[in-house]
Amino acid sequence: MTDFFEPLQHGFMRDAMLVGTMVATMCAVLSCFLILKGWSLMGDAISHAVLPGIVLAYIVGLPLSIGAFVAGLFCAVSTGFIKQHSRIKEDTVMGVVFTGLFAFGLVLFSRTPSDMHLDHILVGNILGITRSQVWQTLGLGGVVLAVTLALRRDLLLICFDPGQARVMALPDRFLNYLLLGLLSLAIVVSLQAVGIILVVAMLVTPGSIAHLWTDRFDRMLLVAVVAAVSSTLTGIFISYHIDGSTGACIVLVQASLFVVSLLFAPKYGILRGALSKNAAAVLKRHANH
Amino acid sequence: MIEIFLTPFHYDYMLRAIWVSALIGGTCGFLSSFVTLKGWSLMGDALSHAVVPGVAVAYILGLPFALGAFVAGLLAAGTMAFIKARSRIREDATIGIVFTAYFALGLLLISLFPARVDLKVILLGNILGISDPDIEQVIAISAVTLLVLGLKWKDLMLFCFDSSQARTLGLRPALLHIILLSLLAATAVAALQAVGACLVVAMLVTPGATAYLLTDRFGKMLWLSSGMGVATSLVGAYASYYFNGATGGCIVTLQTLVFLAAFVFAPKHGLLASKRRARSAEIAPSP
Repeated sequence: MTDFFEPLQHGFMRDAMLVGTMVATMCAVLSCFLILKGWSLMGDAISHAVLPGIVLAYIVGLPLSIGAFVAGLFCAVSTGFIKQHSRIKEDTVMGVVFTGLFAFGLVLFSRTPSDMHLDHILVGNILGITRSQVWQTLGLGGVVLAVTLALRRDLLLICFDPGQARVMALPDRFLNYLLLGLLSLAIVVSLQAVGIILVVAMLVTPGSIAHLWTDRFDRMLLVAVVAAVSSTLTGIFISYHIDGSTGACIVLVQASLFVVSLLFAPKYGILRGALSKNAAAVLKRHANH
Repeated sequence: MIEIFLTPFHYDYMLRAIWVSALIGGTCGFLSSFVTLKGWSLMGDALSHAVVPGVAVAYILGLPFALGAFVAGLLAAGTMAFIKARSRIREDATIGIVFTAYFALGLLLISLFPARVDLKVILLGNILGISDPDIEQVIAISAVTLLVLGLKWKDLMLFCFDSSQARTLGLRPALLHIILLSLLAATAVAALQAVGACLVVAMLVTPGATAYLLTDRFGKMLWLSSGMGVATSLVGAYASYYFNGATGGCIVTLQTLVFLAAFVFAPKHGLLASKRRARSAEIAPSP
């Protein structure tokens, strides 16, 4: 057992677990809103679209996260604009816009001499995180988390029932943009930990797991956070011991939790349905006797 | 001066990259008309990431990469269909969960066997360094895809437009669904070589979306989207000589620019055309 906890003696592992916990909590809370609103793939689109922002910020000398944030928002806004002004379906527009931005980012990157590692941007590098990045993650993550939780009632309403939200005179346009902004910020914060490609897992899977367990939103938040944090910590441990990619391990542990929930969740699990059908059949047979 | 623009043609690997890209671009472009019509854009994205563990296993075991990728793609599609049918999770969330899980598996395998597979090649493609067996696989995939699409395009078109109508006409939607999904997985595998997992979806969506802005007739749309696929891939692969070999980035950036031009200037469905229409509608009722 001491062997298993041996990685905790390393400073970089403690940093990784701290950052991982923050990222997991923040993404899990947001994921509950996203899956109710049907924005799961918005996370995917925005996360790819941040690449040109990162490269441009690097060229100009701004903090990378500002560039990433602006590019992410730009992707969301231009998707909305093109969808409104053409006859193309939203998912297609999203595919065109985010790949266009990502490709532009790659072309820019190829012309920019830098010491940035493209691999680290794409798949994350949580074990190589620096002290200042730790503080940045904790600070920005804390802001996202605080705003989301403080406004959770309003955000929930625009996700669940936009019509009702308008009736109640909530500023629904503002709240939609706020949610997009929070999403972009969360993606920027998570890039370091899991990278562009896997951040969508952090933004979809925990909420989906929780959605299988409960109908009450506050409980859903709790289940999502517990699932995300525990799989992140377990994933980091496993990746240390097998010497494999950390982001991949986190996502795979999370996916296994999803599979378990899919099968065994008390109300909405597949086996639960089968079991209760069996039980009903048995009861019926007894009644007939 | 002209010499500078001709240098890429002096290299064998550039010539190969250019024609292989054009072939892939044409095949993907052809298919993209169906994909945009059916609204399967995100399926294309999901499948292109989900094939990664298959590619990794194939390279580790020394099998043809196309085989592994194709199997992984179909498995992922099956997993998504299963979860969607058996749970309360929405389709878009299901797609997100499944493709990230598959991709993570691929990433883990690659990180465990770094010598056998190069992560960058899978993510960003490496058409400039494509090997002969890989070219053969790309040709085989393209040939089969073009053949099936050429023979069945009317049935598939009907299925994409209105699958219940297709059923009443005596077609089998379930079969057509599987055919289209398999073609999608197969072309995703081919496109992976040219532009990498992150950009495959552009090859499968952008040409179709552009053509859809330019015409209302499906036959014409097919020509436009395949033509655009070929042209952008040719030029993009050529241009990548000057961009440190970022072939995928060049091809897809070009495609996006063409799309934007169509979005603004398309004669009937473009931004300017609809502004003009709105203005003339404002003027017309005044007298």
